[in-house]
Amino acid sequence: MVLQAETEYGTDPDDDTRRSLLRHMLVARGVDEEARQLQKQGALDLWLSCQGQEAAQVGSALAVGPTATVFPSYREHAVALLRGVTPDELVAQWAGRTFCGWDPRRLRFFPYTLVLAAQTLHGVGYAIGQRLQGRDDLVVVYMGDGATSEGDMSEALNLAAVESASVLFICQNNGWAISKPAGEQMRTSVAERARGFGIESVRVPGQDPETVFSACSRAAAHVRAERAPCLVEIPVGRIHGHSTSDAQEVYRDHEDIARARAADPVTAYAARLGGLGLVDTAWLDAVDAEVRELRERLMKEYV
Amino acid sequence: MSAVRSAALAESINATLADLLEQDPRLLLLGEDIGRLGGVFRVTRGLRERFGAERVRDSLLAESTIVGQAVGMAMSGLVPVCEIQFDGFTYPAVNQLVTQAARIGDRWNGQVSPSLVVRIPTGGGVRGVEHHSESNEALFARVPGISVACPSTGEDADQILRYAVTLGSPVVMYEPIRLYWRRNTPARDPEPARSPTAARIVRRGTDLTIATFGAVTHEVLEAAYALSPEVDVEVVDLRWVAPLDMNTVLESVARTGRLLVVHEGSKDVGIGAEVAASVAEHAFDALRGPVRRLAPDRRAYPPADFEKDYLIGVREIKDEVLVMTK
Repeated sequence: MVLQAETEYGTDPDDDTRRSLLRHMLVARGVDEEARQLQKQGALDLWLSCQGQEAAQVGSALAVGPTATVFPSYREHAVALLRGVTPDELVAQWAGRTFCGWDPRRLRFFPYTLVLAAQTLHGVGYAIGQRLQGRDDLVVVYMGDGATSEGDMSEALNLAAVESASVLFICQNNGWAISKPAGEQMRTSVAERARGFGIESVRVPGQDPETVFSACSRAAAHVRAERAPCLVEIPVGRIHGHSTSDAQEVYRDHEDIARARAADPVTAYAARLGGLGLVDTAWLDAVDAEVRELRERLMKEYV
Repeated sequence: MSAVRSAALAESINATLADLLEQDPRLLLLGEDIGRLGGVFRVTRGLRERFGAERVRDSLLAESTIVGQAVGMAMSGLVPVCEIQFDGFTYPAVNQLVTQAARIGDRWNGQVSPSLVVRIPTGGGVRGVEHHSESNEALFARVPGISVACPSTGEDADQILRYAVTLGSPVVMYEPIRLYWRRNTPARDPEPARSPTAARIVRRGTDLTIATFGAVTHEVLEAAYALSPEVDVEVVDLRWVAPLDMNTVLESVARTGRLLVVHEGSKDVGIGAEVAASVAEHAFDALRGPVRRLAPDRRAYPPADFEKDYLIGVREIKDEVLVMTK
């Protein structure tokens, strides 16, 4: 498949964008780790870690830009933080304080939806509604591989196709629907399935944020130019279990978990930019201090 | 019995929808075959020609798609009025209605107030095939965040629709199929309802109150006229089953001392149970006898040849009233 690129949406990240990618990944990792700690201490009821998905989330979120309207599933913490959701707003719903801790309208980052794939139809309906009112937004809908088994996902893909809705579907495929491996969930890739509905799609690895950024930039440009939907499937690693209540060691072998940890996209990208001389120790120390400050504030708010 | 000839329910709803489309550019209709065909019951006939295919939208043949996209449209500021083709096809949309439409307002901390209406043709008596004659209003009546209306006349449907599109939370409106094109109906007291959400006393009486709603309201009125003057029955058309206007029922029971609840949906854990429980809680001292319910047994709606055994008719209503007042 050839996606049409537009010059105004650069497909290759420049050096500032590369540092921005890394910074957002490091912040997301730090906040996620703090949330895991807070859950262990009983300050949060539950946490759904996004560790291993940072490159996919940060790369896609930066690529679609700040004006896109995002319909997340419930694990898009790195997207949320990048969009301006503060760490304490992000964890508020997992501490039982609210159903949504942030301002969805202002941030154009809509509330998490815990019933799988329900948001896919909302995203398409929203895109149609915006178009009918003369506003041509780019709508970005996130979902995981597990959610693609839901009927609403197929209905949303078909609706988006026949209505030519300006929706970019981003499927993060971490290979597991809790304990059900991807090989038992589907016989084709999600990207291949999208093409069956008449939706252009691409499948790109989720380890490198630059690859994701480039693919999502092209996909977003395609949606904007063609006013037609597109789907990007991003295979990602899953470092932790589905949630803090999950015990992935029960159903997942140690080598597989070790492989996911070894392929950590955050440490890999930090090493790469360090090796290229794009970031130095001082830069990394400054981000580290920023993350430490965020973590301390979060801990004080919730412990 | 006095009868009146009036506009059919389908014509009234058509006129109301046309007026609403005329008045509010944010409002649109969405449903299977509602555009080109005008709906399988022709309720939306002519509207696509008048308002265009963008605002009178022939949807895909998928009920979750209808309500799910309507939720997204409401988030974008539109007011979608959906049609589900038949009551029995509501179920694929239940998830989107119950877990999404009903909860969006709370989930958004009030930033979104979806005015979203789902119109559902309902009920039997028209020799429908399987899934085409059901009454599933009690299913949604239990769901916080969803209001459920069951009008029995075009005038009431008009008032309810106009209110529903401004409510800021989802409304499911059940429209009795067998009333769509019926023109002769029993006369009603002209007294208007106290508010768009209130029940309506459609016949004043002194001996017994019948609380009812939907198509069977007409059989109840026929029975009441037939029993007069031996027994003077007061008839309360609830009009909404969620939330229920219990004040009107309780005031009526305070006057008559007897309550019978009649509905077409099956009896167990139905609307009648809720009405009876509320009266037992709040008006026990006013009662001269036990509250009773008249509704079908807990079983699936039968094949058309057997629907007369299932539905509540004028004769059963009269017999029940006589048992309660003898």
